[in-house]
Amino acid sequence: MEFRELLRSPAPVLLDGGMGTMLQARGLKPGEYPELAALDHPDWLFDIHRAYVDAGARIISANTFGANREKLSRMGKTVAEVVSASVCVAREAADHRALVALDVGPIGQLLEPTGLLQFEQAVDIFKEVISAGVDAGVDLIFIETVADLQEARAALLAAKEVCSLPVMVTMTYEERGRTFLGHSPAAAALTLEGLGADAIGVNCSLGPREMPPLARELLKWSTLPIILKPNAGLPDPNGGGYDITAAQFASTLASMAELGVKLFGGCCGTTPEYIALLKQELSGRQVAPVERAVPAAVCSPTTVVPIDRVRVIGERINPTGKKLMKEALRRGDVDFMLSQALAQTQAGADILDVNVGLPEIDEGAMMVRTVKALQGITDAPLQIDSTDPAVLERALRVYCGKAIVNSVNGEGRTLSAILPIVKKYGASVVGLTLDENGIPKSAEARLAIAGRILDAALAHGIRKEDVYIDCLTLTASAEQECAAQTLQAVRMVKEQLGLKTVLGVSNISFGLPARSVVNQNFLTMAMVYGLDLPIINPNTDSMMAAVRSFHLLMNVDADARDFIAAYANATVSTAITTGSTAAAPAPTAARTLDEIVRAGLRGEAGPATRALLEGGADSMDIINTMLIPALDAVGAEFEAGRQFLPQLIQSAGAAQAAFEVLREHMSSAAADTDTDKNTIILATVKGDIHDIGKNIAKVLLENYGFAVIDLGKDVPPEAVVQAVREHGAGLVGLSALMTTTLKSMADTIALLHKENLPCKIMVGGAVLTEDYAKRIGADFYARDAKQGVDIARSVFGAS
Amino acid sequence: MSITLSQLNTDEVLRYMGTPPEQADGALRQLVSDCSAQLLAAIQPRWTWKLCRIEPEPDGIRLDTGLLLSGRDLNAHLAGCDRAALFCATLGAQADTLIRQAQCSDLLRALALDCCAAAAAEQLCDRVELELQSQFPGCYFPYRFSPGYGDLPLQVQSDLLTLLDAPRRVGLHTGESHILFPRKSVTAILGVSDRPIQTHRRSCLGCPAHDGCQYRKSGGHCGIS
Repeated sequence: MEFRELLRSPAPVLLDGGMGTMLQARGLKPGEYPELAALDHPDWLFDIHRAYVDAGARIISANTFGANREKLSRMGKTVAEVVSASVCVAREAADHRALVALDVGPIGQLLEPTGLLQFEQAVDIFKEVISAGVDAGVDLIFIETVADLQEARAALLAAKEVCSLPVMVTMTYEERGRTFLGHSPAAAALTLEGLGADAIGVNCSLGPREMPPLARELLKWSTLPIILKPNAGLPDPNGGGYDITAAQFASTLASMAELGVKLFGGCCGTTPEYIALLKQELSGRQVAPVERAVPAAVCSPTTVVPIDRVRVIGERINPTGKKLMKEALRRGDVDFMLSQALAQTQAGADILDVNVGLPEIDEGAMMVRTVKALQGITDAPLQIDSTDPAVLERALRVYCGKAIVNSVNGEGRTLSAILPIVKKYGASVVGLTLDENGIPKSAEARLAIAGRILDAALAHGIRKEDVYIDCLTLTASAEQECAAQTLQAVRMVKEQLGLKTVLGVSNISFGLPARSVVNQNFLTMAMVYGLDLPIINPNTDSMMAAVRSFHLLMNVDADARDFIAAYANATVSTAITTGSTAAAPAPTAARTLDEIVRAGLRGEAGPATRALLEGGADSMDIINTMLIPALDAVGAEFEAGRQFLPQLIQSAGAAQAAFEVLREHMSSAAADTDTDKNTIILATVKGDIHDIGKNIAKVLLENYGFAVIDLGKDVPPEAVVQAVREHGAGLVGLSALMTTTLKSMADTIALLHKENLPCKIMVGGAVLTEDYAKRIGADFYARDAKQGVDIARSVFGAS
Repeated sequence: MSITLSQLNTDEVLRYMGTPPEQADGALRQLVSDCSAQLLAAIQPRWTWKLCRIEPEPDGIRLDTGLLLSGRDLNAHLAGCDRAALFCATLGAQADTLIRQAQCSDLLRALALDCCAAAAAEQLCDRVELELQSQFPGCYFPYRFSPGYGDLPLQVQSDLLTLLDAPRRVGLHTGESHILFPRKSVTAILGVSDRPIQTHRRSCLGCPAHDGCQYRKSGGHCGIS
């Protein structure tokens, strides 16, 4: 019987049990590679597989768990030879009585952001294994024992791009119901079903008694058949065995058919005896027909955000009208966007919109970098915002979780370009109610477009819950009659189509005075009309207050817990001072800017700088007569051992806050001269990820007015060379913290020399010494960030 | 056995931050104490171990699994031991995430968290060492020795992790540059002897960092004796 037929029948499906322990029992010696059993001990392997088939397993897993090139290269074997031999033994043993699955285990290296393995490298490694399995004639693919949802995604995507065989995916969890990396079964369920898995579940990690909470989560967040393949029990604290018997294992696990679990097997410690007992326990049982309806939701690997109340989408990661962000994008400075992300989630954003479109940059490459970096620091799901389908696809590929695509509209061309991508990666999608004829004025016409978008999405296999409609906010100052139509359209889409709704809110007040009042009121009205996903600036208190009040008043925020937590100690001002256009009076500065920087008072530096500017001071004067002398003084104290690294960082941070104000103040013409400034490339070398030291150096160098291009960590030599060329940099700073990555540093320097680039090189990092720096060809050794500044000043002959 | 860390030594963290503890003001101490609480609440320390018989060979120590731990320093260090408890310990990926987050908003906090995590990893290893020592009553132990100490190369990390089944048991991995992931993790070898052995204190002379030590470079000391 084919796999998909097995799934359709009402009966439970039996899988096999453990392999490693069985091989050891047959005589596999410590230090011998279990991956090579098909080559070294095919008879043992045949017997084990056959014993599982005889015990009743309908699907057995070939001994290919570790058969990827990363692991096999150490054993001097190729993927093709190991996979074909292993599948061959399994197929002989199955003898048409059982299906044979290609067993795909983790690569053995951690992916970004925790590790260094890149997503596409992982996909490539899995593709090789899966292609070999398909060539060897497996019936299905079984991806298992994965603790990183991103790695499960890579393997599943590889399977989908290599073949059309069914794919089962199981992950491994700890007792607290999360993987080692903190990933949740709910996020796994949403994500893996979206990507097209045929069955999902849990293996290894725990015993059958610990399975029910995990199984319930999977049942709740997916409609797929559920697999449980636990260990023989929890490790017995009093010995090498497990805490329950084979009979207890079988009866406990089989009882979960009543929860709706479909596929049953065993992992570590289980043997054909366990599987035979499990067969007995399962005989006559049917998988309980459980109602499965997955609500609208998006997720990151750690956090599922159901759209079961108003969920705020933060709008700040978008260069439109933001000078500092445009500059950051041109410099390739991702850190700027990361700080925006954290500020928004701290203010209460549930989801973050990400738009990095600027005409003069490579939007796709920037989007990939930004999405990866964001997922390294925030648990909030992302909304990928671009008009370019290629950019959307690149972002969705690397995004771990279920994202929102922003957006499609009623034009046939966009729908057919973007919806297939939304479907392939299992995202949700925002549909704008406009088409080739523009934005219709009436609510009815917008509803009609929404209906067309929904039909197109359904036709592409996207479920209704994953389509969110944006009825479009028009500017009230220009088209006053349209605000009511937008609200009406929100209500109609919600009631007549049953879809979730999105609105970019702040556009409503463009060109009006007292914008925040208009925005807040429009937001409240829209929520009453049924808005689910306002796209707003969550850092504006009045907007978050509107959302929290709405939840309080609609009895969504039970016992007003969230509201009280947010506002118990708040001071609220409801006064609108009419006619006042003057800025708030400058705070009376008790300290001078010089004192503030020396004392490292970051919070005071910005206001003090603003006050100076308002008093008529010149930007360059502030820099040259206050900031630089203050930094010099702190640097001298640091060098003399009278102040220490924390003070240096605090002063640098205060100066940085002052510079931010100055940069905003300078005319854009002045800001453009940045490109002619003395440019320094900073990078933590390939293979190394210790970058705190480099980041401290970066802030200090920027304080002294150098234009720093920060390439980040794990940077290949070629990328450093390219950046030096592109920016005409006069100085390169490289950092490494490990003895093993000093080689990368030497390689980078060698390549810079080989390419004959007219730049100086300084190096730093804990394991470096002056001698070693000279030996690998660096021009300078920087003991610390302060010395880095001195070097930069001498190289550029600056003040 | 699971290990929970409940407190870190503020002075040790301050030293890691390049600040002599007696010179740290109240605000800095408060920051370290906040970061320490935040870190300890977020992490899930995990560890695993395996006992191996060991044989000295001219160019290293041979384990009964066949693995050779190369270098003369480990050989000398394990003199008198016929077994070794190999272990690995990790704070988990959450420590790395916290540090990454702080780096994009507050570098001083990032430095403090990084140093708290270093202190926590050290403390975790101390606890593991005590736990392992309790498994061998009446035995004698030299201090724990890690890849990177003396001439024991970091390149051995991958084989050690495989031997400990570390990716599956505790989620600990390595890669091409032999860095451990999650970052705040340690692998170590604890010799076991039935007879008294000559024990050495951990000191700068026996320390892996040698000339590269950032504390020594600035004329200080890491505080680990």
